[in-house]
Amino acid sequence: MRSKSLIAILMSFSLAACAGGGGGFGGYSLVQPKARAVANGKMTVTPPRPWNRVPRSYYDIAEEENWTLNGPILDSIGFIAALKDGKAIVRQRRKEDRQVPVFRSNMTPPEIVSMIESLYRIRGGAAEFAMTGLKPATFLGRQGYQLDYDYLDQNEIKRRGRSYGAVIHGRLYLMLLDATRMHYFEHALPDFETMARGAVLRS
Amino acid sequence: MSLEISRRALLAGGGCLCCAGLTGMAQARIAPSAMTPLIGPGYKPLETDEKGLWSQYERIEQDIAGSNLLIKDPKLVAYLGGLAGRVGGPAARDLRVYLAHIPEFNAFMAPTGFMVVFSGLLTRMRNEAQLAGVIAHEAGHFLRKHQIRAWRDVRRKTDAFTMLGMGLGGLSAAGGGFAGIGDLYQLAQFGTIFSLAQYGRDLEKEADATGLRLISEAGYSPIEMSNTWSQLIAEIEASAAMRKKRPFRGTSLLASHPAPADRMADLRASAVEIQASGRSYDAGRDRYLSIIAPHKAMLLDDQVKLNDPGASLYIIQNLAKDGWSGTLRYYEAEIWRLKGKGKGADEARAVQGYAAAVQMPDAPAEAWRAHGYSLLKSGQAEPGKRALARYLAMKPAASDAAMVRYSMAQ
Amino acid sequence: MSRLPLILAVSASLVAGGCVSTQQVADVQFSPPEGDYSLIVMRPDVTVGSVTMGGLTEPRADWTETSRANLIAALKAQQAGRGGRTMILETRAQAGANAELVADLERLHNAVGASIQLHKYLGQDLPTKRRQGIDWTLGEDAVRFGRSTGYDYALFMYAEDSFASTGRVLLGVLGTAGCFVGFCAPMQGGRQLAYASLVDLKSGDVVWFNVLQSQLGDIRKPEGATQMIERLLGRMKAGREVRKAAS
Repeated sequence: MRSKSLIAILMSFSLAACAGGGGGFGGYSLVQPKARAVANGKMTVTPPRPWNRVPRSYYDIAEEENWTLNGPILDSIGFIAALKDGKAIVRQRRKEDRQVPVFRSNMTPPEIVSMIESLYRIRGGAAEFAMTGLKPATFLGRQGYQLDYDYLDQNEIKRRGRSYGAVIHGRLYLMLLDATRMHYFEHALPDFETMARGAVLRS
Repeated sequence: MSLEISRRALLAGGGCLCCAGLTGMAQARIAPSAMTPLIGPGYKPLETDEKGLWSQYERIEQDIAGSNLLIKDPKLVAYLGGLAGRVGGPAARDLRVYLAHIPEFNAFMAPTGFMVVFSGLLTRMRNEAQLAGVIAHEAGHFLRKHQIRAWRDVRRKTDAFTMLGMGLGGLSAAGGGFAGIGDLYQLAQFGTIFSLAQYGRDLEKEADATGLRLISEAGYSPIEMSNTWSQLIAEIEASAAMRKKRPFRGTSLLASHPAPADRMADLRASAVEIQASGRSYDAGRDRYLSIIAPHKAMLLDDQVKLNDPGASLYIIQNLAKDGWSGTLRYYEAEIWRLKGKGKGADEARAVQGYAAAVQMPDAPAEAWRAHGYSLLKSGQAEPGKRALARYLAMKPAASDAAMVRYSMAQ
Repeated sequence: MSRLPLILAVSASLVAGGCVSTQQVADVQFSPPEGDYSLIVMRPDVTVGSVTMGGLTEPRADWTETSRANLIAALKAQQAGRGGRTMILETRAQAGANAELVADLERLHNAVGASIQLHKYLGQDLPTKRRQGIDWTLGEDAVRFGRSTGYDYALFMYAEDSFASTGRVLLGVLGTAGCFVGFCAPMQGGRQLAYASLVDLKSGDVVWFNVLQSQLGDIRKPEGATQMIERLLGRMKAGREVRKAAS
């Protein structure tokens, strides 16, 4: 989930640079504009134009993958596929004072929203997270949700997000677009919408 | 995460309550009456290094004034300004107070006379005297010129570190030492030198004593300052107990921070002496509660959504000493829901909590929504739909209205 | 306020020899503005301090104010020499546009500037970005800002400079400072760090970006400030396509 603060992202990359490797975590790779399996291969998505795959970070879970157009500070799309009951959407220690709630198969959409909001408030340092819309929607051909939200990040930059998701056979699948409210959200939205509508489950 | 550098984190390594004040710390107690302000109204710096700091913080204040994270509610801001005016001593007219929308128990005083109070403080205060005590403590740092003293002290210490070849890593991590950063999160993390608990034993005691003097002269009940500490200690212990671990320890920042139990004991002893004068004091509870009332839901929302159940439960139960309400019941239930992971005893407590919340006249709309969904989950379709309908009636323009209607139609 | 110094603070240690280095990137179609153009310089962010032995930088009001004045004067002179109309902002309100718009643009630029640093200077290349040129924008709100203020270009500028205190210089001479039990911290006597970012307000795009790192030069003196401005802005090169067409 690309909800880390500017500082955290910059520090992690600058530390990588310090360690002598320009792309310490493996670097960004090109995503071609054709059908592609994402997030552990459990979902297929077709980007309408080339995107960049973000190198994996320590906080990523196995079931996730992240892409960006202009750099994750400005925009990012996160994919989560086949997340099991009882697992969290972010890597965290068991004894953390503040914990992002884990996913449960019997979660209602408002509870999934609450889990995403907690992720932002606890790990993203978001202040003033506001859900601006939640409605039923189809995702991967199943009944799911569309969530829209606005928030302020740790650098006081106004940001916006949209997520489509569904629980299928007890597992969580979702896509999430997170970008600056100025320019970058609207800029990435058409691609995000196309990809969400065309996303397909892989068995 | 930067928010963790807060008073609670700094405090938490300070030791247990049972060690409170039994070791004859009273001799080291500073008498409030000895705390004379070192600056007067309209103070401006004369020495070079202090001028440097001043200049930096003037620009920081400009940026803070333009911050997206400020709560600008005029009544609340005026209220805080009024408190600073009452307990600011000679600086009463010079102090500026900004309220930041950050759910941490923290406040800091800049060397130029502006103070930032974090909204998490308002969540926890039980009365006006407690809040005035925090403001007066911070004003004490300003009136006794602690900031520049602390800066010079840190500078001396870091020179010493270099000679030993240690400490560079930690210091350079603090943004290379430049104080030229204006946003509130960064300031909370990197500006901890001026944050609530970062001055070293003697200076903290001075600020405590100065604060006590200021609030008692203003007619506030002096015992409330030590109560603030005992509440915070209890909160930290509750948080750790819930996670089945010892209270958080060990950032290097703790090195200069005196044991909170000592300070609590000193504050209590001094308060008792002051109150022995026979003058009557006021805690200002009703006034505080009515000012905070319109913001209570937002403050609790911010706190509860951090999912630190031990701390949040302590806070709510503390607030409930003034009486339970629909809002408090709802947020208590939310704590159990977030902790409970969707099943078991915790989830059951959440369900009960929502049911209790909607019994109360001031139950927020969200309580009806939560109650409705828990009824639907347990197979009670008709009562569930009625509860959701109640939510929609209370909040027809709710952003999730479409989803709620959909759930009702299933 | 900019967070960029944090990255550069690390990469600065990798600058070998401690001399002066600048690195520009520009849009391939970029031509340096000349003739009758107007430029608004967003609040220049200047900090000058003294580096203590322990590596802390102590801000100095007198140095900062002097340096800021020098840089602004140098900017004015340099722009006058180019024939354009320049306004240098001291406060957000001076821009003549909505103050919140100005604040939001500053913050967006922090993010964009940081992204340019990361993905152009620190090796985290984005495969979809052209190898040559800059491909970042501040978007429609920058265009709106340009229309309401009447300026063609906006320049964002940051400069920090620091000078070693006596104690620090001594340690450097001893040569042992910073190395202890296998950990060697970069020993920096003092360093100059500046960046400038030019935004075309007709499109909102960042058309030119330059980073300056140096261990020489003193912006507390007018000559030093003139030199920094010259290094940062004076040698603005055209973009690749324009240079090719010209040769």
